[in-house]
Amino acid sequence: MAAWARLASRSRLRPSASGVRGPPRSSPPVPPPPPRAGRAGPAAPPPPPPLRRLLRLPQVRSSSAPTTSSLGDRWRCLGGERRWLASEASAAVPAGEAAELVEVPLAQTGEGIAECELLRWFVAEGDQVDEFQPLCEVQSDKATIEITSRFKGKVHQIHFGPGDIVKVGETLLKMIVGDSQIVSPDNIFPSADKSLGEESVVPSSESNIHSGTLSTPAVRHLAKQYGLNIDEIVGTGKDGRVLKEDVLNYAVSKGLCREQSSSLEESTGQVELLKEAKPLPGVPLYEDKKIVLRGYQRAMVKSMSLAAKVPHFHYLEEINCDSLVQLKTAFQNVNKDNTIKHTFLPFLIKSLSMALSKYPMLNSSFLEQTNEVVLKGSHNIGIAMATTNGLVVPNIKNVQSLSILEITKELARLHEMASHNKLSTADIEGGTITLSNIGAIGGKFGSPLLNLPEVAIIALGRIQKLPRFDDDENVYPSSIINVTVGADHRVVDGAMVARFCNEWKGVVEKPELLLLHMR
Amino acid sequence: MSVTGSAGARGAARPLMRLVTMSGAPILRQLHLEERLLRRTADNWCVINDGTAPPTIVMGVSGRVSELVEIEPVLRDRVPVVRRYSGGGTVIVDQGTVFVTIICDKSAVAGLQPFPRDIMSWSGQLYGKVFDRFGEFHLRENDYAFSHRKFGGNAQSITKNRWVHHTSFLWDYDVENMDYLKIPKRAPEYRLARNHTEFLCRMKEYMPSRSVFTDGVITALGEQFSVQPTDLETVLSNDEEFVPSTKLLSQQDLEEIVSSKGSSSLGVQEVEA
Repeated sequence: MAAWARLASRSRLRPSASGVRGPPRSSPPVPPPPPRAGRAGPAAPPPPPPLRRLLRLPQVRSSSAPTTSSLGDRWRCLGGERRWLASEASAAVPAGEAAELVEVPLAQTGEGIAECELLRWFVAEGDQVDEFQPLCEVQSDKATIEITSRFKGKVHQIHFGPGDIVKVGETLLKMIVGDSQIVSPDNIFPSADKSLGEESVVPSSESNIHSGTLSTPAVRHLAKQYGLNIDEIVGTGKDGRVLKEDVLNYAVSKGLCREQSSSLEESTGQVELLKEAKPLPGVPLYEDKKIVLRGYQRAMVKSMSLAAKVPHFHYLEEINCDSLVQLKTAFQNVNKDNTIKHTFLPFLIKSLSMALSKYPMLNSSFLEQTNEVVLKGSHNIGIAMATTNGLVVPNIKNVQSLSILEITKELARLHEMASHNKLSTADIEGGTITLSNIGAIGGKFGSPLLNLPEVAIIALGRIQKLPRFDDDENVYPSSIINVTVGADHRVVDGAMVARFCNEWKGVVEKPELLLLHMR
Repeated sequence: MSVTGSAGARGAARPLMRLVTMSGAPILRQLHLEERLLRRTADNWCVINDGTAPPTIVMGVSGRVSELVEIEPVLRDRVPVVRRYSGGGTVIVDQGTVFVTIICDKSAVAGLQPFPRDIMSWSGQLYGKVFDRFGEFHLRENDYAFSHRKFGGNAQSITKNRWVHHTSFLWDYDVENMDYLKIPKRAPEYRLARNHTEFLCRMKEYMPSRSVFTDGVITALGEQFSVQPTDLETVLSNDEEFVPSTKLLSQQDLEEIVSSKGSSSLGVQEVEA
């Protein structure tokens, strides 16, 4: 008992040991006070602190227990015993020191992980271990992790075997440790919470890792804002975690802020600190956000910059789609295949191809270096698509050889691929002219930029119901679509575009012409 | 303890990383090599194995075979089953799998703490540089994915001073091979009970070639390390004493599991006193 008393007071006198908090401790490691004066015999042992259960050495004789009342007297009496203890202590403990039995818990392994599986031990009961020597291996989710010892000492008792699940904070093993050791900071896992996707680099501020106080970055920030040392704050959360309330209560006790009830008079910033809902106090609500352009967006930067160098002109035309509307309905009526949905676009694409056969210059590409124009053999009509990743223009190959039904299916396939970001390089390359059905989203007119090295691009506005005159000069409701043709004025001139457009418009307004010219 | 490599941007010296490239090496041999490089050397390594043969089931360090693998077909078709030294789940690997393993000293990457989440996050940033231009790349929980489809699975092993982060990448996979695996009880949240075909995707549908991928990895590593290709022969030393923990399960092991209805967790290491 005397030994116990001596050890307790020794612990108290070493602030570094008792003050260091690691995540595994479930309550502040203040050792219990020695028995009060007046009790001569061995007192009932107080409940042991979680980490430092004191060793009861067998040869302690109660007859040598002091009967004096003051702590000072105890020290004097214990002087002789110290030497005795030194000689009788276990070999793990250097001469002149007493041993402590330390419970070593499983440290926090990372945010959200409450337990690990013990895989294997590297040491056995009775083994001497050095500081930083591997003790065992555990598995935490995807990682196997070696747990190293914080102490130099002797393995006294192992609590778990291979295959056991160990909860964070549970005692893995007990060790006999010489008590003059400086306890190394819990360096197995970070004590601060980290969410996946945030910086992989640990903040350089040492307090996050080496102080050993368990809390979230938000709470640390709060403590910093009040100018408080988080290590001084008693944590009431799980495993001694310092919570926001703990910081605030401490701040109140220090007179740094008023109680919550009077927070109405506080500045907005402080009121927000006290509100439960706000996750990060003090963070401004409107912040600049930086987005790095990647993938399709990045490609667009490049392609549009190049397109801007080409002298464009734009030609606007109106197409009457009444016949087209009827045609689409007719297609739908004979359609027995549920997977196919008929829209306007395939017909517009096919009729465009027909017009291109007559005006191949619009289906070409311009070679600046040699001043040559390549009239492309195939009509690979690109369809601009807005995906969640940005603008992409896959093309339908050889439209001149495809039926409207085949175009419909291919269009659907490309849409599907685009929406899942699965377009192949072949799908995107080799286009000869581009159609942008921006009207599907909205808009009447556009001034589309060329999809180089093409020389023409066509933007389709939305179909509007507008009053028009029929042949008898009566007003009737008509489905009208506005079409803007953008063209490379180095290669193509207005007259050619106008004639091309007339050709196209003619077929769309009178679809039977398609039949007439079809091969 | 990494040797200083050549100076990188800003004059800071990049640590040396030795690069070993293989093609079609059996996964067991690759894993044994990794363990040796992890436990018996002090260097930083990148091991790339492009494809493996024969098709092999590779399980994490723990986990019940009966819960993860369809043992009857595996026995019938004599599919090898390997239990590796790192954590994580079960995969079936074949010629369509590309492996990339990064082995580092804990001080190799400035500011990177040797903890699972930190390393996982760092790897996500590294591979982001490789994959961003090919698709909507994400590190989802512990997987690499394009959009919501996984194409890369990760596992780690962290020792006192070093760590391994290794990935099996699905350049391509054989749907029928997936039938040897059960859908695991523990699955990432974003999987949402999808089966293998709905959950996974093939890298070859996003990227032009395997070499574009592996070159990209080497380039990305080159930003943080001085990458030095190293001959495999130089690496394969006569370290006869070293016994890796990665083990091939024998036919007998598997038959025992079938007969005992999978009650034991086979392969967990015994106490090494």
